[in-house]
Formats: sequence, C-alpha cells, structure tokens
Amino acid sequence: MNRDGRDLRAERGPVLRKGVGVSPSGWFDPRGRTIGGWAFAVNRITGLGLVFYLYLHLAVLSLLLGGADAWNDFLRIATTTVFLLLDVLLVFGLLYHGLNGVRVALIGTGLVPGRERALFWAGTVIGTIALIAAGLHILGDA
Amino acid sequence: MHTAEPIEKVEGPSKVTEIRRFRVFRYKRGDAESHYDEFDVPVGPRASVLDALRWIEVHRDPTLAIRHSCFHASCGTCGLRVNGREGLGCVTFVRDLGTTITVEPEANIPILADLVLDMREFYARFPEQHPVMRASEFLPRAVPPDGMDGYERFEDCIECGLCLSACPIAATTDEYVGPAALAAAQRLVEEPRGADTVDILRWADQPDAVWRCHAAFECTEACPAGVYPAERIMDMRGVLVEGGPRRRAPVRTAAHEGARP
Amino acid sequence: MASDARDAHVLIVGGGGTGGALAHDLTLRGVRVTLVERGEFTSGTTGRHHGLLHSGARYAVGDKESAVECIEENMILRRIAPGSFEENDGLFVAVTDEDMAYHDDFVRSCKECGIPVQELRPDEALRLEPLLNPELKAAVRVPDATMDAMRMPLRFFATAQYNGAELFNYMEVVDLILSNGGVGGAMVHDRVTNEQRQIRADITINATGPWSERIAAMASVDVPIRPSPGVLLALRGRLCNMVVNRMHRSGDGDIVVPQRALSIVGTSSWTVEDPDDLDVPDDHIEKMYEEGAKLIPAVRQAGFRAAWSAARPLIGSRGDADTGRELSRTFKTFDHAETDGVEGFVTITGGKATTLRGMAQLCADVVCRKLGIDAECRTRDTILLPHTAFYAATR
Repeated sequence: MNRDGRDLRAERGPVLRKGVGVSPSGWFDPRGRTIGGWAFAVNRITGLGLVFYLYLHLAVLSLLLGGADAWNDFLRIATTTVFLLLDVLLVFGLLYHGLNGVRVALIGTGLVPGRERALFWAGTVIGTIALIAAGLHILGDA
Repeated sequence: MHTAEPIEKVEGPSKVTEIRRFRVFRYKRGDAESHYDEFDVPVGPRASVLDALRWIEVHRDPTLAIRHSCFHASCGTCGLRVNGREGLGCVTFVRDLGTTITVEPEANIPILADLVLDMREFYARFPEQHPVMRASEFLPRAVPPDGMDGYERFEDCIECGLCLSACPIAATTDEYVGPAALAAAQRLVEEPRGADTVDILRWADQPDAVWRCHAAFECTEACPAGVYPAERIMDMRGVLVEGGPRRRAPVRTAAHEGARP
Repeated sequence: MASDARDAHVLIVGGGGTGGALAHDLTLRGVRVTLVERGEFTSGTTGRHHGLLHSGARYAVGDKESAVECIEENMILRRIAPGSFEENDGLFVAVTDEDMAYHDDFVRSCKECGIPVQELRPDEALRLEPLLNPELKAAVRVPDATMDAMRMPLRFFATAQYNGAELFNYMEVVDLILSNGGVGGAMVHDRVTNEQRQIRADITINATGPWSERIAAMASVDVPIRPSPGVLLALRGRLCNMVVNRMHRSGDGDIVVPQRALSIVGTSSWTVEDPDDLDVPDDHIEKMYEEGAKLIPAVRQAGFRAAWSAARPLIGSRGDADTGRELSRTFKTFDHAETDGVEGFVTITGGKATTLRGMAQLCADVVCRKLGIDAECRTRDTILLPHTAFYAATR
C-alpha cells in the first residue's frame, strides 16, 4: 500500500475523460454518443461557426469604408461558386442552430415536455426543406 | 423435503458457444499510465459482459479489479463503458456486441484501479438530503392492508454514475453537480417526505447546478433505472422559474415505461 | 493476549454482510478492526439475493430455531436501519389443495415462533395484490419486508468505518500467517496497487461465506460448508408491492420479491465445489417462470431483465444432501482452537441476509472471550449511519 512512503490508495486516481485530453474539449468526443448528444455537439459547433462568421461579416462590411471599388472587388469573389457554396453552409448553420435552439427552449421551459427526439426529427424535416429551397435559390442564379 | 419436483443436479459450466476477444482497461496505482489487456473469453448465448469479466478474473488474471454485487441491475455497482457506450455490465449482453469488445471504466469520476471507480466524488455532488424511499406508483388499484397508508418502494436511482459518465458537460468540468444529483434533488421537491424543499431549491439554483445542463439528454439515454434525469432537470427549471413546486405530475417516471434496456 | 480492547487487533476476512456487521459490532466494543475483501463489499453472496427481509414464516414449520432467529432480527433491523426497508409486509399464498393441507400447521407454527400473522380470504388478498393468481385458495399476511441487498449491509460498513475500523476492498488474502500453531494474520494482495503485504492480528475471523473452506484450508483446517447456489430471475415491471410466497414447506421458485421497477423470482438449489464457477442453467430459469407464474400469472409475460446464481453457505458435513435444502440454515461460529487446536482463528458461517447482526453478535462474543475482553454487544440499539456515509469524502 505504500510505495516510497506514499499511501497510493489515498491518492486521487486518474479520471477517464472523453475529448482530446484537454478538459474543455470533453463535449467534443463522438464515442458512445446518441441523438441528443449529437444535437448538442453540432449546436455548439454551429454556434462557434456563426460567431466566427459574424466577425468575418463585420470585417467584410468594413470594406464599404474603402469606397465603391473595394466593395466591387469583393462582390466579384462573392459571386464565385465556392463562395456561394459557403453561403449554403452558412444557411445550414443558421437553420440548424435556430431550429435546435427553439427545440431546446421548448423542452427546457417545459412547454413541450419529454419530446426531445420528436422535436429533433421535426426540426430536421423543416430544416432540410428550407435548406434545399435556399440552396436552389442561392445556386440557381449563379 | 420438497413439495415441488426436484431439479436435476447440475454439473459443469454453461454451454459455451463461442470465443470473444475482450480489450480491458488496466490501471494500478503507481503506474505511469494505463494500458489495455486482451483476453479470449469463452461465452454462452446468455453471457453478459460482467460474466466475461468474472471469467477473466477467475481463470486468467486474479489481479483484475471489477466492481459488482447484485447481478441484476439493482445495485448499480457494475457501471462500465462498453465499446464507448455507457451501460451496466450485468445486463449488457455479449451477443449484442461486435467481434472485439472494449471495456473501460466510467468517465468523469476518479479511478481506483482497473475498471473500478472511487465513488466518493460521485456522492459528494449530491445535496445533503438524499432521497431513498418513494410512494409506490405501481398497481394503483391495489389497496394496502390495514395499518398502512400506502405501499412504499425504493427510489429508482441506483447510484451507478452512468449519467455522469455520459454527460458532455461533466466531461468538461468537475464543478457541475451532474444529472444524478439534480434528479435526486428534484425527486425531493416532488416528494419531500419531510425534506427542506426551500433548501434544496436554493442548492439547485446555481450556475453549476441546474442551469449548467445543455439538454444533450445523454444522461436519460444512459440511465438503466428509469430515473429520466434530463426530464427531472427540466422539471426543476420549471419549478425555479415558476417560483415553487408545480401542481401537475412530473413527466415520464419509471411507472410509465418501466426500466430501460 | 490483550485484555484491554484497544490493544487487540482483529482481522476480518470477507466483506459480505456478516463481515460488515462484525466490523461494526467489534468496533463498538472498542476493538481495533481491519477488514479485507477481495472484491467490492457484498460482491460475494450478500449482494445477490432477492432482498427479502425474512419474517421467518418460511421456516416456522420445519426449522423453528431459524424462524425465531429471523423474526427477532427482522424487528431489530427495522429499528436500527430505518429507511432501508420497503415495509409492505408479505403474503403466503395457497394455490393447490396440497398447499391448503399445510395451511393450519403453517399458521399455528408461525404463532408459536412469535411471527404475527393475519389470515385472509382470496378476495381480500386480491384487493391487496391485484395480480395474484385469481385461483388462490387462501392467503396469510406476514411481516416480510424488502431491502436493497447491498445498501442495507453497507450501513454496517459505513458505521464501522466512521467509528474507526479500517475496511479495505480489493484486498485479497493469498495466505494466512501461521506461527506457533496458530494464525497470526494474513498475507494480502492489494488489487489497487498490485502489491503484497502482511497484516498481523491477534484473531483472524473467516467470514467468507461459501469460500470458507478455501480460507480455512490455508490454516490446514476443515469447515463443513457446502456452497449451495440457486438461480434467480429478474423481470421487468413491479408485479407486486408485498413479498409473495408460496404456502408450502420449501421449493423452487416459490417467492416473488419486488425490487424498484423489477420483480425477482427465486430460487433453486444445488451444491458445487467451487463458488467462483457458478452455472445458470436454462432449466432452472424455466422453472422460475413456471413456479412464479403459479403465484402471479403475469410473470409469464413479463420482460426478461437478468438471470444469475448466488451461492449460499450451508453448514453440514461432507457427504450430506445433494440439493442443499436439507442442510441447516442456522449460523455457527467455529473456534478453531477448540475444534482443531489452531489458535487465533475463528470461522463464522451459515445464516442468511436477515440474520447478519445476530451472527455478528454471536461471533463477536466468542472473539472477545478469546481476547479476554469484557465488552457487551451494543448493536441491538445503535442506529446505523445511512449508506451514503460510507462514501463521505473525509475518512
């Protein structure tokens, strides 16, 4: 029980964590995850993505300060196919985060108790239809 | 002397139908790091992961530390992660699993050795008052005998820690009290039996208590005993927001769906 | 030998209900106690039973000594471990004419043993338990109760630990230390650190239940214990609130015990050599369904949760009885200085979950006498700490 005078039993043992070894990443581990866990994880990822997008958007808008030429240069990039696909990705992020957010709010306030899976699938259906419609609209005119 | 027909005397082990490979997490105090040992285990059609671990302990490695007691999902001591998924070893059946079966201890609680946890930090998260008994909600048309107000039974929670292991928030911080503790607190609010509900709600109304949950519902998925901790957490949020215990019945107790697989 | 309790050191081998109750009893008498268990506490046999707190009625006709022990301990446990029992009482149900022939003898014997009974008509019984076999002929209400097979004994461990006993799980006795014709302690292997060390003690108590012979053999001593397993079946759904027993002498599958949202049907009986290698035979499981359904027909349709075996330690001599039921269920302490000329070694075995405190008292009396300690048992009236206290962070 003692090794080098230490009472090994009394010491705190290691803790198995999910994630990539660093504590705050624990939510990211996909092993053993079920629907609700994925919903939560993707919500976080889209949330982070949308925050990143927000700053990017503000930076882009600041180009307006550079006058019409600076803005027109940007518009040329903004109408390329790659960029439009990124726009579709953005729409996915907005739809997912928004619809899942509504889902969590409905469950969390107890307005729709115990139906988290049904709400997830309902949101998926609505979101998929909206995403296809948005995608067709964005890419259709390209 | 029997009145029933005696069953034939039993010889030998149960019918073995196949050999399965198990990868078992190993760690002893003082080790620099953990490792996995592999064992080929003979199993029968009804073998559980716990049966296989016991076979390893008895026939291959008596130093293997495993935790178990009741063998029927009542004591909650054999909580494990099997192929990454939380479950009780005694009711996780080998026939439902793939070719190689990886067995690890539960996450988020300190390990004592091998697959065994030191549960003190699990219990430390609970509020002072710990619910143990509840009114029995089964067979509502049953009338208890004279001298009894009603039938009673043990609370559903078997303190296995699988909910805490599955929770993605518990993976990021030890400050979060966790689903088991919050579900226990909400049970006390629903059925106080003399407990101080004001004190309980004050304990729950903290950033690292009921408000820390992000509604992943992994705890409810992992729970083998029908506690529905995520639902209990949402109920408790409702209680705190409305300023007191609700009048309508809580959602989805074990009475509605029985114990989960 | 020490005559001051505080100088004496007792090593208890075996962390089941008996070991825990012993640690509690001796600690209250002022003795320094160390307990070692190779697995989790109650992982041997204690944790596996259906959770019945015996009224003793099952033994009233055939084993009055056992029945009286049961009802006394039943009442004591309710007092010292409040909140650890579903106190819903139990029913003995007569289903056949043969059962009815047993009925009057049963009721009279219960009264003789001091077990309170109440005779019920079938319609009264069905009101108490709507899922009973509607063909039942009679029922008798008895003071059975349900316990959590692990958490109730854990209260003994919690209290002993709080009072200073050192309790080690995951510590296996690999050999006994023999000196001067006696046992002076044990060599243990710690499964937490993978190290071995010696634990010296004035008296070593063998409380290993069906493993008693294995430990006794380390001192070249024989104890007449037959490991006698039985199969139990856990079904989904709480089919009854009261414990439901078959009104007959003794047989397989004659009890249904509620455990939270499950119903446990038990049990059967056979004897083995090795309690570590227990089978769970299919025909025994089928028998549980068959016999259980005679008490509560819904057993047949109930979903399967688990089937397992638990080995009882039954006292008898080698060559006795093949099924194990004939062996006595009372408990005994063997002082090996008297029976085998080996000092410092005592075995406590037999009994059942309900009688853990009584077994510990008997054994602790023997041990204190051997140590020359004059200390009374205080476990009858000491309220136990809750099981959660066992896990309190400050030890």
